[in-house]
Amino acid sequence: MAIVSISRGSYSQGKAVAEKVAERLGYECLSRDVLLQASDQFNIPEITLEHAIKDAPSILERFSHGRQRYVAYIQSALTRNLCRDNVVYHGLAGHVLLKNVSHVLKVRIIADMGLRVAIVMKREKLGQKEARSYIAKLDSERRKWTRSLYGVDPWDPTLYDLLLNLPRFEVNDAVELICRSAEMKQFKTTPESNKEMEDLALACQIKAAVVEKHPDVFVASKYGNVLVYCTEGDRHARKLKAIIGELCSTIEGVNNVEVHAGVTPPANAV
Amino acid sequence: MESLTLDMIFVMAMIAVAVFLFIVEWVRVDVVAILVMVALPLIHLVTPKQAFSGLSSNAVVSIIAVIIIGAGLDKTGVVNNLVTPVLRLAGNSPSRVVVAVSVTVAGISSFMQNIGAAALFLPAIQRISKKLSIPISQLLMPIGFSAILGGTITLVGSSPLILLNDLLVPFKLEPFSLFDVTPIGLALVATGIMSFIFFGRIMLPKPKAAKSEGKSERQDEERKEPAADDLDHVRELHTPGDFTHYREPVRVADLRARFLVNVVGLTEPPDFKVISPRDTTVVRSDVDLVVCGRAEDIARMAESEGMTLKPQLEVFADDVNDQNFGTVEAVVAPRSNLVNKTLKELEFEDRFQVTPLTIGRHDETYRSEIAEMPLRVGDVLQLHGTWKRLQYLQSARNLLFTMPIEVEEIQTEKAIVAGFWLAAALTMVIVFKIQLSVCLMTGALGMILTRVLTIDEAYASVDWRTVFLLGGLIPLGLATEKTGTAAWIAHTVLGAMGTVSPVVLICVIGLLSTFFTLVISNVGATVLLVPLVVNMAVAAKADPRMAALTVGLATSNSFVLPTHQVNALYMGPGQYRSVDFLRAGCVITVLFLVVMVGMMYIVYGI
Repeated sequence: MAIVSISRGSYSQGKAVAEKVAERLGYECLSRDVLLQASDQFNIPEITLEHAIKDAPSILERFSHGRQRYVAYIQSALTRNLCRDNVVYHGLAGHVLLKNVSHVLKVRIIADMGLRVAIVMKREKLGQKEARSYIAKLDSERRKWTRSLYGVDPWDPTLYDLLLNLPRFEVNDAVELICRSAEMKQFKTTPESNKEMEDLALACQIKAAVVEKHPDVFVASKYGNVLVYCTEGDRHARKLKAIIGELCSTIEGVNNVEVHAGVTPPANAV
Repeated sequence: MESLTLDMIFVMAMIAVAVFLFIVEWVRVDVVAILVMVALPLIHLVTPKQAFSGLSSNAVVSIIAVIIIGAGLDKTGVVNNLVTPVLRLAGNSPSRVVVAVSVTVAGISSFMQNIGAAALFLPAIQRISKKLSIPISQLLMPIGFSAILGGTITLVGSSPLILLNDLLVPFKLEPFSLFDVTPIGLALVATGIMSFIFFGRIMLPKPKAAKSEGKSERQDEERKEPAADDLDHVRELHTPGDFTHYREPVRVADLRARFLVNVVGLTEPPDFKVISPRDTTVVRSDVDLVVCGRAEDIARMAESEGMTLKPQLEVFADDVNDQNFGTVEAVVAPRSNLVNKTLKELEFEDRFQVTPLTIGRHDETYRSEIAEMPLRVGDVLQLHGTWKRLQYLQSARNLLFTMPIEVEEIQTEKAIVAGFWLAAALTMVIVFKIQLSVCLMTGALGMILTRVLTIDEAYASVDWRTVFLLGGLIPLGLATEKTGTAAWIAHTVLGAMGTVSPVVLICVIGLLSTFFTLVISNVGATVLLVPLVVNMAVAAKADPRMAALTVGLATSNSFVLPTHQVNALYMGPGQYRSVDFLRAGCVITVLFLVVMVGMMYIVYGI
């Protein structure tokens, strides 16, 4: 059993592939539901979350940390769902977050520009030139978004386990390849990888709880030992420890909580 | 009064820049001093010779000698020779222990740098705290304050007082002798100690056990932070026969990461024992391991990994015992090479073959990923290992150890020699009235020639930060006087104050010095204020020597914030917070000023 995370360029038929993979494997297919759950749980309008996850941040947003907050909420809802295992997720905010979880098969679907333009012309009723500009704009926004949030280029092939170029592969061919890969032993959930996922979900949960008042903290969890990294001084760290300690006392599976001030957070911290 | 000149404006600008840099700490204080030392001749406020005269001043030579003498006393374990009879005298009463140790620290501090005396005594105080079950927070602050106050007993007790005579030279005022400040210093020390004895309950933070009784019910239901001494649990476990089956190898580092439990020994098949195994050592099936950690974490590991938790040490009973092994607390020393480095960068475990268990900082104990935390002065490392390896680590002098006294190497014969040279230096000052710097350097040289410490150890012990701070700021004081800036400021301030009596003037100077020493270094405050107050005193027809002495004393009045090196060092081991220093410091600060002015009135008739 595994988790399949499908990252897709806009209008590249990625959604169709994801849904067929989920159907074939008998997995749950997640995308928009995550936004809905985050919206319910944190009382933020869905449209706000959608905007946060689709558009590149403006200069003002970089200072207000609003986007960070919304993304933290979405990540919390996402990782909580992924702990159930046997999930196909296609959406943003997923694949880079999950890069350290070993039973996640990370797939990137790209499509030939001609195919994408044709799809946009048909769906959005645009001329060829407008369709091309529209796709270029969308690609640019998504690239900026991933860079601003994770510091990585989503077009970097090393982020993925499998990269499929449509229409070199038909949709059904792509589904076949993904399903076969998902059944390989290196993508099977093990107790260790399950623990990695639980730790990630725990870290995301804690981050979502504190991000509004403390947008600059990073959270990591390893076997239920929660570490919170903050840049401010020790007094701030003590206050944060009190808040997080109280929060963690109500969460199962937390063995230890520490706040480390002035320590560089590890790469896997959220 | 001279009118304001361009040179005066430059000097005031230089002072303002220096004060600003001291406060914001964009660069270290000694770098600020070097900046001043270089800028002054460039702007032609002093000659190049004058700019570097500070480095060869009596004050700087005296401070270097005092530091070397202190290092000699430290190395020979003089403190340990003092601690036992002091404790015998004090008995088990916490008040008597505080008085006895405070008086001893104050006495040592009167001839050593305050921070040196405080650092020397820290391990002993930690031992006393454990042995007599006195909360360490009840001991460290009174003793730390006594170390600072002890610096006012003699003219070599603190940098400002060492500096004082050099600052009086441009005014052709009679220098002070070694014990001129002693009556005032003794009164200050006595006041400090007595205030903690009588008002300690108000001034000192409540010990943690008492604090937890006051917690609300809701807080009691929450997860409680275990006391740090839970980590003294050393338990032996046995791994099951299928421990390594169908899983990735489990290494020592994995057990620490998962369960916050440290493996201090394990067996390799068939029965080879490894003490302080490396992080990469694999834990195999059907082996025994001895671990150190919180009881709940050890139990969790045993349950999760299917290990058998033994009721007592069996396989390692002879190896892991108090004779050979121990857990000690070691404080990161001031000017240690470990500061701002992580245990991982230092390859600490591999180099010293001891296991770091926790890092204590202020009132928090850290167990998780401690190898990634940059170390700070005052951090308390809990270390486990053989005494031999811990002693080796201790000899590197980067950490102040709380070792059992039986284990510490005490060179009694060298301690006598070190004491002799200190006495010789003092005799030269008192009896033969030789210049202080010459006497102290003679004492330091004597220690080196008689192999109390080597010349390289002497060089290594010198705190160049203090040397350059003194050396760099002395020319600024010179420029302040030479350009007439000090006189101008003095007349301006006096003009604003109007006619005041000498006592009021001394009080104002005391307050100014107390304020400045909190925001800039005590040396900086002394160098800037002495020329100013001497001019003020002359203009107000008061005794300028007393005005200067007030600055030299009051710049030690640094208790309200943990900015003084002694307070910064004791903050971690004492688990104090800034508000604890604020509470006790306010009381001591006010008492300091009252007693200082009172004693100056009585002794010198100001």
